[in-house]
Amino acid sequence: MRKGVLELCILAIISEGEAYPSDIIEKLKENELIVVEGTMYPLLTRLKNAGLLGYNWQESVSGPPRKYYHLTDEGTTFLRELLDTWNQLVNVVTQSTKNLVENE
Amino acid sequence: MNKTYNINIGGYPFTIDDDAYAILHSYLNKIEGHFRRSEGCDEILEDIERRIAELLEQRLKSKKIVAKDDINQVISILGTPEDFGAASEDGAIYDEPVSGREYKTGKKLYRDPDDKVIGGVCSGLAAYFGIQEPVWVRVAFALIFFAGGLSVPIYILLWALVPVAQTPGDFLAMRGEKINVRNIAKIVEEQVEQISDQLSEIGQDWKSKRRKKKSERKERKSWKDHL
Repeated sequence: MRKGVLELCILAIISEGEAYPSDIIEKLKENELIVVEGTMYPLLTRLKNAGLLGYNWQESVSGPPRKYYHLTDEGTTFLRELLDTWNQLVNVVTQSTKNLVENE
Repeated sequence: MNKTYNINIGGYPFTIDDDAYAILHSYLNKIEGHFRRSEGCDEILEDIERRIAELLEQRLKSKKIVAKDDINQVISILGTPEDFGAASEDGAIYDEPVSGREYKTGKKLYRDPDDKVIGGVCSGLAAYFGIQEPVWVRVAFALIFFAGGLSVPIYILLWALVPVAQTPGDFLAMRGEKINVRNIAKIVEEQVEQISDQLSEIGQDWKSKRRKKKSERKERKSWKDHL
C-alpha cells in the first residue's frame, strides 16, 4: 500500500519536469513521506527497468555527472492509471467512513 | 596525526582518514549486503557511490582530506539499511530476489477453472499446448463432434481424469512457468486484484443504491410538503 503511494508521488513529481533524486527527496521530505535518500535509488532503478522512467546524464558543478529522471510515455499512461485508482480508493474510503466522521 | 588512504569513490579520487575509511567501508558493505538480492543491484550501488562522491565533494570544498564527521554526515543523508527498512515496511518488495531458488517443472495438464465453458478442459489443453485463445480448442472439439468423432466421450474422460488447477503452483505448472517466488507473487497479485475489483464493484453498487434511497426519501418529503 505504502509502496504504491510512494511510487505515485515519485512519478507525479517527476512528471512536473526532469528531476534529480535529491530534489525528489526534498519534496517528499516536506510531506514527511520519506526520510533518507537511500530508499530512492532502488525504487528509481526498478521504475526505470520497468520502462516507466528514463534518464539523462547531466554534468554537475561539483562532483560526478548526475542522472536526471523523466517519465517515458508508458510512465505517463501508468501515472494516469495510478491516479484514477487512487481517486477511486479515496472515494470509496470517504464514502465508507462518512458516517463515522459525521458522528464525531 | 592520522594515517590516510587514497580511494576511488564513484570514479573520483579522495584522500580519507583511517577512521573515516573504516566507517565508510563497513557502511558500503552493509549497503551491498542489503541490496545484493535486489533487482539492478549494481546500478543502485553505483548510484549511491556517485552520490557519496558528490556529497563529499560539496562538503570538502577547499579541505583536502575526508574526515570521520564528513562520512557520518553523508551516511545520515543517505540512511542506513535499518532506515530503509523503516521507510518501507513492506521492504521485501524492494528486495525482490532475482535469483531465488527455482523449481523447474515441466508443463502439466490441468483444467482451468478461471476460463471455462463446461469443465475448463479446453482452456487447460490450450494452456498446455501454448495456444493463446482456448476458443480454437473448443472449435476443434466441436468440429470433431460434427465430423462424427469421439470428442464428447474424450471430453468427459478428460473432465474426469484431469485435475482442476487450484493453487498458484498449479496455475504456473499449467502455463509452464517456472515456480519461483516472483511468479507465485504474480499469481497471488492477480488474485488480489480480482478481489479488489469485485470489492470496488460492490462499493459502486452500494453507492448507487444509497443514492436511489436518498432520492426516494426526498421524493416522499416533497410529497408530504404538498399535503
